Amino acid sequence: MNPLLAFQLRRIGRNRQYLIFTVLLPALFTVFFTEIFGGLATTPAGFQREAVQYMVSMMAYGAIGAALGATIRISFDRASGWQRQLRVMPVAQAQVFAVDVAVGALLTLPSLVTVALVGRFVNDVQLGLGTWVAMVGVLWAGSIAFVALGLFIGLSLDERAAGGAMSFVGVVLALLGGLLAPVEVFPGSLRTVAHAMPSYWYAQLGRDVAGGAGPAVEAVLAVLAFTAGFAALAVLVARRRPLYAVAG
Amino acid sequence: MSGGTGDVPHYLRSGRSDHAERVTRPPALEISGLTVRYGDTLAVDGLDLAIPAGSTVALLGPNGAGKSTIVNAVLGLLNPESGAIRVLGRSPRDAIRAGTVGAMLQHGGLPSEARVGEVLDLVRRAFPQAWPLDDLVVTAGIEGLLARPVEALSGGQRQRVLLALALAGAPPLLLLDEPTSAMDVEGRRAFWTTMRGLADRGHTVVFATHHLDEADAVADRVVVIADGRVIADGSAADVKSGVAGRTISFTASVERRLDGLPAVSGVTWQGGTVSLATSDAAVTLRALLSDGGLPDLEVRGASLEDAVLSLISTGRNTPIGAVR
Repeated sequence: MNPLLAFQLRRIGRNRQYLIFTVLLPALFTVFFTEIFGGLATTPAGFQREAVQYMVSMMAYGAIGAALGATIRISFDRASGWQRQLRVMPVAQAQVFAVDVAVGALLTLPSLVTVALVGRFVNDVQLGLGTWVAMVGVLWAGSIAFVALGLFIGLSLDERAAGGAMSFVGVVLALLGGLLAPVEVFPGSLRTVAHAMPSYWYAQLGRDVAGGAGPAVEAVLAVLAFTAGFAALAVLVARRRPLYAVAG
Repeated sequence: MSGGTGDVPHYLRSGRSDHAERVTRPPALEISGLTVRYGDTLAVDGLDLAIPAGSTVALLGPNGAGKSTIVNAVLGLLNPESGAIRVLGRSPRDAIRAGTVGAMLQHGGLPSEARVGEVLDLVRRAFPQAWPLDDLVVTAGIEGLLARPVEALSGGQRQRVLLALALAGAPPLLLLDEPTSAMDVEGRRAFWTTMRGLADRGHTVVFATHHLDEADAVADRVVVIADGRVIADGSAADVKSGVAGRTISFTASVERRLDGLPAVSGVTWQGGTVSLATSDAAVTLRALLSDGGLPDLEVRGASLEDAVLSLISTGRNTPIGAVR
C-alpha cells in the first residue's frame, strides 16, 4: 500500500470519536429506529419493509458522516502546518490529493458494512446475497459525492469553522434528505426540499437496489451531478486558496 | 529596480576560491530579480542573491523584512511576481521533487494522531536517499522520542523533530526559517552545534533569523535583509566593521541637543541613557565634551546588532558605500 495512504488511515484509526460517530452511532440508530417503527408494523412483511428502510437510511447516514469526517481532516492538517510540510517533501501534490480522496472513500466502508451486518443479524433483514453485495457496492460508489463535498468544505474553511460546518451539513443532509424520518411523511413543500438534497438521491440508490430493482436512472444522474458539482468546487477552491498565511 | 548588486555593500574580501567552486558545482541558490507582492504590500523587492554550495548563510533581518517570503519562494510555496530562482541548478519545484532540499518551515507542523517514528518513517521513504535512521536520530537529538505521540512533544522537541524531517533525505541544501524560535538557550546551543557539524559535512545551510547572536556565531556569511532587499552582505565581522565603528553611551537629559554631532549615524534612547553610533569616536566625543558633561560614559565596539540597526536605518533610503 502507498505509504502516505497507510499513514493517513492509521491516524484516523486512532481517532475514537471518529469510530463512535461514523460506525457505532449509525449501528445503534438502526436498531433503535427498527425497534420503534418496525414495532408498529402489523405483519412480518411490514416489519421487513421498515427494517430495510431504516437500514438503508442509516447506511447512508453513516457513510455521509464518515465521508465528511474523513475529509475535514484536510483543514486540520492545513492548520497544523502538516500540509505545508508535505509540500516541501518529494511527494507530488496530485498524490496527496489522491490520498485524501482515497481515505474518504475507504472510510465509508466500515460504516456501510457494520450497519448492513446489524441489519442482517440484529434486525433480521432478509435479502439475497447478490442484493447485499450490490446494495453495499452502490452506496459505497455513491458516497464519493460526499467525499467531494467534504473536500470542498475542508479546503474552504479553517479548522474551527470546518468542524462546525461538517456537523451542520451532516445534520441538514440527514434530516432534509429523509434519513431520520422518511420523506413519505414529509409535507408537500418539505418533500420538494428533500428532492433537492444529495442525501435523498443517495439513499434512494440503496433503496432501489434493496427493493430488488436496479438503481433508478434519475437517482444515478442526481448523485453524479452532485458529485461533479462538489468536485468542481473543491478543485476551484484548492487552486485559489493559498496553503497558508505568510508573514515576514 | 532597486536592490541590484551595485548599491549593496559586498564584503567578500577577494574573489577567493568562490569562483573555482562555482564552476565545478552548481550554486546552492541563485536568485535574480525576485519580486513578491502580497496585495499592495511589496514583500520582496527585486532581490538578487547567490549562495555557493557548501556555505552557511544567515538571512538576517527584523520581522517583516521578507526573510520568510524569500524562503517560501525558494521552496516553490508561492508564486513570485517576477524573478528567477534556481536551486542547485533546478527550478524550486524540481529541486524538491528530486529530494535535494530539506526545509524547516516557520509555519510547518506535525500531523496529529501520529507517533514521531511514523512521521519520520514516512518522510524518509519519500526521499530517494534517506539518512540512516540511527544516525539521524542522534544528529537531530530526538533520542527516545520515536514512540512518542506528536501531541506529547514540548516546543523544543517539536522543533527537533521538524529538524529531523528536514534532514530525513540527507539533502545537500538545508533551508531553515527561524528554526530555534521555540527552543530554550540550551536547545539553541545544541541546535547550532548540529548545524555546524552539517556544514562541516558539506551541506549548504541557509537560515533566516532575527537573532543576531545566531548569525554571528554560526554563519560564515550574513545577508542582511530589510524591506525585501539585501542591504548588506558579508561575514559577520565585515558587517560589523562596515558600519559605525563605535557606540558611545552616556546618561543624558532629554533637553540635551544631540543633532548635528559629527560622525554620528544613529541615536537611540533607552530610559535616560542615550547611545550614539559613530564612525569616529574621537571626533564625536570632542564635540560632545565641548557641549557639556558625559555622565556614565561608555565607549564600545559596535555589536552586530548596532551594525544591523544602523544598516537598516540608513540602508532603507541611502545606499551604503561598499567596503572592500
